[in-house]
Amino acid sequence: MKLNIDSEVPKVVVVGHVDHGKSSFIGRFLYDIGEIPDEKFAELKKASKTRSIDFEFAFLLDALQDERDQGITIDTTRIFFKTKKRKYVFIDAPGHKEFIKNMITGASSADIAILIVDVHEGIKQQTKKHAYLLKLLGVEKVIILFNKMDKIDYAEKKFLRVKFELEKFLSSINIKFNSSIPISSKFGDNLVKRSTKMPWFKGQVFVEVLDKYNISDNEISHFIRFPIQDIYKIGDKRVIVGRIENGKISNGTELIFLPSNEKVKVNSLEAWPKAKKIYGPGDCIGITLNDQIFVDRGNLASDTESPPKLMNRFESNVFWISDKKISFDKKYFMKINTGEYEVNINKIKNVINTESLDRKKNTNVLKNDICELVIHSSQFIPMDDYSFNKSTARFCLLDSEEIVAGGIINLKNYPDQREKKYISKNNITPESYSITEIDRSIKFNHRPGIIWLTGLSGAGKSTIAKNVEKRLFKRNFNVFNLDGDNLRIGLNKNLDFTPEDRTENIRRTAEVARLFTQAGFLVLVSLISPYRSERKKARDIRPELFREIYVKASVDICAKRDVKGLYAKALRGEIESFTGISSPYEEPEKPNIIVDTTIEKVEESVIKLEKYIIKEFSF
Amino acid sequence: MQKNLRKLENESIYIFRQAYRSIPKIALLWSLGKDSNVMVWLAFKAFLGKIPFPLVHVDTGKKFKEMYEFRDKYVKEWEVNFIKGSCPPLEDIDPSLPPAARSAARKTEGLKEIIKKEKFKGIIAGIRRDEQGTRAKERVFSPRDDSGVWNIKNQPPEFWDQSNFNYPESVHVRIHPLLGWTELDIWEYIRYEKIPVVDLYFSKKGKRYRSLGDRDITLPVKSSAKTIDQIILELQNSNTSERSGRAMDHEEENVFERLRSKGYM
Repeated sequence: MKLNIDSEVPKVVVVGHVDHGKSSFIGRFLYDIGEIPDEKFAELKKASKTRSIDFEFAFLLDALQDERDQGITIDTTRIFFKTKKRKYVFIDAPGHKEFIKNMITGASSADIAILIVDVHEGIKQQTKKHAYLLKLLGVEKVIILFNKMDKIDYAEKKFLRVKFELEKFLSSINIKFNSSIPISSKFGDNLVKRSTKMPWFKGQVFVEVLDKYNISDNEISHFIRFPIQDIYKIGDKRVIVGRIENGKISNGTELIFLPSNEKVKVNSLEAWPKAKKIYGPGDCIGITLNDQIFVDRGNLASDTESPPKLMNRFESNVFWISDKKISFDKKYFMKINTGEYEVNINKIKNVINTESLDRKKNTNVLKNDICELVIHSSQFIPMDDYSFNKSTARFCLLDSEEIVAGGIINLKNYPDQREKKYISKNNITPESYSITEIDRSIKFNHRPGIIWLTGLSGAGKSTIAKNVEKRLFKRNFNVFNLDGDNLRIGLNKNLDFTPEDRTENIRRTAEVARLFTQAGFLVLVSLISPYRSERKKARDIRPELFREIYVKASVDICAKRDVKGLYAKALRGEIESFTGISSPYEEPEKPNIIVDTTIEKVEESVIKLEKYIIKEFSF
Repeated sequence: MQKNLRKLENESIYIFRQAYRSIPKIALLWSLGKDSNVMVWLAFKAFLGKIPFPLVHVDTGKKFKEMYEFRDKYVKEWEVNFIKGSCPPLEDIDPSLPPAARSAARKTEGLKEIIKKEKFKGIIAGIRRDEQGTRAKERVFSPRDDSGVWNIKNQPPEFWDQSNFNYPESVHVRIHPLLGWTELDIWEYIRYEKIPVVDLYFSKKGKRYRSLGDRDITLPVKSSAKTIDQIILELQNSNTSERSGRAMDHEEENVFERLRSKGYM
């Protein structure tokens, strides 16, 4: 085999429980492939002797005095080496739970992970925690090494038992492992040379497996992600600099900048001493634009076909690495790509036990916990779903002093806030009505209005709306009930229950309601309308005529009533994105009135709402 | 350019731009050696031909003549903003340090002085992880308190290219754009980009300097490498470490950690 000098240099992180032999493994392996300089070997010998212990390979990496004295890895480190095939970097990560933040620092940039488990001791807490963190950090290639085979007399049976248990766990968190190799770091079994003590093992030894990995990205995806790092004024040019995270950019490439949502073309590529014609993923580039639009640091540029989403509320899977407690009142700084935003943590959805994989609803999160959070921002933040593109879907959270958490983004449950269409409004002039709203109001003897009933499915929105409609009709009100379910049969039948379609459903319903008000009607709208942001948009169409009514009932009560049998289905997992079960409902912050159907009888709620409407909309 | 060199180049440019954007007043520590010349080169690339911060040389007064000549030549040729710092005399340095380390520690004090005088909040230094065990444990953005001390046991987390820049007034940040490079990468990059280096790196009378420090505590190593190509070939087959000619590294096991925790590069 010839050393490939033009190969990429894979970064290989070694993780696992404390004392399962990570640093010793690296030391022994490097020794076996002849990658420890002679003078270094002599130095390690001396350091071991000073501490009156047997020769310790771990000292190669544990360079700090405290690490050597305590026999423990405190901080992550790196060491360069080459096999016959190519060059590598080993990243050693501490296994002690005190140093998780250092483990994350090391593992986050790795291409390949080696998970080490001591077969004698078996799977421990940090074995599982580290595996789970690898998944969050996006390290997908994993080799499992079962170390200390010498301690169990190279027994296949014990090895198979631990292997079965660990592989089962990894499968349950969707980690694909490629190889499971029984080794002994102490004696070098199956690292570089095939062990004579384990004739039952037929797989490849460690170095063969490592050299086999192909780390360059297999699929080429065409969408562009280009976060803006800075803007330099060079001569009279404004050069926009950043790193291409995905896709290719050349002269004339059309880009959309978010959050401004403006389209513009690349005018030139700028580099010193000379620019290339085309740049791809990982390249740090400079560009100028052919149109002077406002671009700022932290903006995210993309292609025009599949731009990122623009969010002000989203869910995320987070590792919390601070001693400080989560505060719902506090402002955190979220750093995503090159952008920085002020955010709030709205809700702790679940805390995940990384040993049992149970999800628990907790109100607080401890250091090194993994949890699911709902995060809110008053600004729009461009981002992707983690399953779509990793690099633009992960962030860290800081308070005023330190990084407290890192997380990956899940956009399944909240709607994109980006305006989708670029319709030129230039050729449209609204026609004025010949009969005004005032004329109609005087004739009908009441003002028009939109009575927006929001609440969970089964809370009683339709029942109350129908009854109120009847009573107002009898009092000669010009009234109409727009029911969400009915609209979904006709006008909205092409819409689904994804966040984006729910948003469109609300937009159309609000526009229909507007037309009704222009016709002088009082219109009752009963629609789950789960998002605050979308209800606000509906209100903004005619704020002076809009009233928000919260029809309140808890998920438990609604599920118990279950008039349409939908909750039962949703709880069985037969309906995706069911509000209150698998999709969020955001309670109104300041509704005009609340009708609580868990304590009020239907007639009481109906009369309460009727009275309110008469008071608000009569002359 | 080789794939891995392009990757390293991009990583370093990203770090330079991040530092310039996030830290108010920064400077590049130019020690005149091969690594810091590569850094200057990368800074030209990051900022498209004009480096928007000063190059600082903390002068021990004991460098080789060739190094001073090199410095004066390129300050002019590169049109950089250059600041020279000086170092206190040996008598002012902790006498408990072994002799060579004590001599090297003068530079730490000189650096502290210039940081204080110029009110720098960030210092770009060309250290690499493959040089030495404690350097291997470094962060890209590494905070130092007001006395320059490195808190090795509690370094801030860094992941997904995100770091904290929110530090108290008294703290400065060490910025390490070359942390991921190896000695061989440096030479391969110098060859590809044709970056100038001091002549002392090339063999004369069977010896060459592999690493440049003060005259009195740096020794040449046996070598016949007279060109960059030969140096690269030599390194590909070498089994000794780069800093073997640096006396300060070999006095006591913990000496480098002691120097670094007090603010050495």
